[in-house]
Amino acid sequence: MSSPGARGRPLSPNIQIYRPQLTSVLSIANRITGVILSAFAVLMVVWLIAAASGPQPFSTVQRSIGSLFGQILMLGFTFSFFMHLCGGIRHLIWDTGHGFELRSIYASGWAVVVASILLTALTWGVSIWMGVG
Amino acid sequence: MMGKEKRLPLIIDSSDQLPSATILKRFPLPRNFGVAPDSRIEEGQVWKAPAGASRTKAFTIYRYDPDSGDNPTLDIFEVDLDDCGPMVLGALIWIKNKVDPTLTFRRSCREGVCGSCAMNIDGTNWLACTREIAETDEAGRIYPLSNMRIVKDLVPDLTHVFAQYAAMEPWLHSKTPAPENERLQSPEERSELDGYYECILCFCCTSGCPSHWWNGDRFLGPAALLQAYRWLADTRDEATGQRLDDLEDPFRLYRCHTILNCTRTCPKGGTPARRSPRSRK
Amino acid sequence: MRKVPTPTPLNHALALGSSRKGAGEWWAERLSAIALIPLTIWFAASVIALTGSDHAAFVAWLKTPFATICMILLLIALFHHTALGLQVIIEDYVHSGAKFAAIIATRLGCFALAVAGIVATLRIPFAG
Ligand code: SF4
Ligand code: SF4
Ligand code: FES
Repeated sequence: MSSPGARGRPLSPNIQIYRPQLTSVLSIANRITGVILSAFAVLMVVWLIAAASGPQPFSTVQRSIGSLFGQILMLGFTFSFFMHLCGGIRHLIWDTGHGFELRSIYASGWAVVVASILLTALTWGVSIWMGVG
Repeated sequence: MMGKEKRLPLIIDSSDQLPSATILKRFPLPRNFGVAPDSRIEEGQVWKAPAGASRTKAFTIYRYDPDSGDNPTLDIFEVDLDDCGPMVLGALIWIKNKVDPTLTFRRSCREGVCGSCAMNIDGTNWLACTREIAETDEAGRIYPLSNMRIVKDLVPDLTHVFAQYAAMEPWLHSKTPAPENERLQSPEERSELDGYYECILCFCCTSGCPSHWWNGDRFLGPAALLQAYRWLADTRDEATGQRLDDLEDPFRLYRCHTILNCTRTCPKGGTPARRSPRSRK
Repeated sequence: MRKVPTPTPLNHALALGSSRKGAGEWWAERLSAIALIPLTIWFAASVIALTGSDHAAFVAWLKTPFATICMILLLIALFHHTALGLQVIIEDYVHSGAKFAAIIATRLGCFALAVAGIVATLRIPFAG
């Protein structure tokens, strides 16, 4: 640029100072959960291959999923899944051109957060109950 | 924190509403995270309030002097609240008149019409003339608009964003010969422009758009896209096909990820984001 | 960033002009997303129903034509969506020459995983 002196114009800070808001935080969350789900998609293929290879490999995979570490991963997966699902539905609604008033943006945003937590809890409730029963 | 609204605390109704509960004032990143050496912000000086000032408030303000060759700094100014106007712009003018005449910022109308005093106040972009000092944090934080090349202090170089605006050819394109009188619209047709015609080109939105931060070279940004839509929605404009073709690009238009920081920040209550899905049809 | 100095700011903003594409990928991402809503819910429900069951039960489930078909559709939609989504993320954040390498790797990886998943799924009813 043409400013005097050897240095160029500095760039003002962006993410370092911009306030996190429901808008940007949920957007980033949708991305992060998407990346997490990609990793689980790989695991899903591993799981299918194990199943196709026979009872032995399959039970090895099942046992690692059943371990404490595996269960923590699955909890993260469940939450990511519902977050991405609900966030994705929110995006699809926007794509139809609806829900762009700030009030709707915030209402749907919090709805996504609450729904993700509830659905995760529900899923785990049911699966624990199934495991017991 | 602020008690005046009767609204639901977590739902933001309009962009002038401040967050009622603050979990994080900024993302947990080091202040100079990923910043080029030239742009790193250093500690600045403290400017004390004049002796005898009884009601004072501190502001942390981004400073950059192109003539010094030094990096930007954060200066702290103590403002005498009994001696200045109620708005943040008033505090800046007070500093310039009473403390440091070199403090540089743009302003003109001081009533939210011209868009020149847009800056980042307490982490969000807003017009300094329409944000009350009373609404700012203790040690209010004032930065220039985010992600802009800085000319001096709070004055950003808007050349590129204005060029992106100009690239939208924001004027009526018509092949029909001009009629004797005005080109008429029905009230319904006119109402299609509500939320789009009000833009004052303050660039609060584009500067607050994370997608524009990362790809501002090629992504047009909300302000320019809002203009694009404003002309697409205008029944008198005859270049709709051309305009749509010119938008269709993975970067120009489709870098908008509906983050919606733009709508959250628009001081004119516009909905810059809304045009994208419609433009996609 | 700029390699050749461009004469005017408008010139810089216009750059090489519009590529006149992008709508196709945008639609593909939405379509795969819509397909994934029922498919992933079916998958999640099935996995919960299979909690604690053994290999035989699993094979019996995946052997049904309905489950086989759904699983294959799921794999196709899932990896299509994953490839598109990851590509957008890479385009957003990677601005070096690594960008194209990363995009190619993602696409090939997703393709390979989808094929592997489909083959594994098909082996269960046909070879199992
Ligand atoms: S909705 Fe689009 S234009 Fe607005 S902040 Fe988000 S990415 Fe930027
Ligand atoms: S759309 Fe709103 S925030 Fe963006 S430039 Fe116009 S007035 Fe400013
Ligand atoms: S001075 Fe004109 S908008 Fe603030």
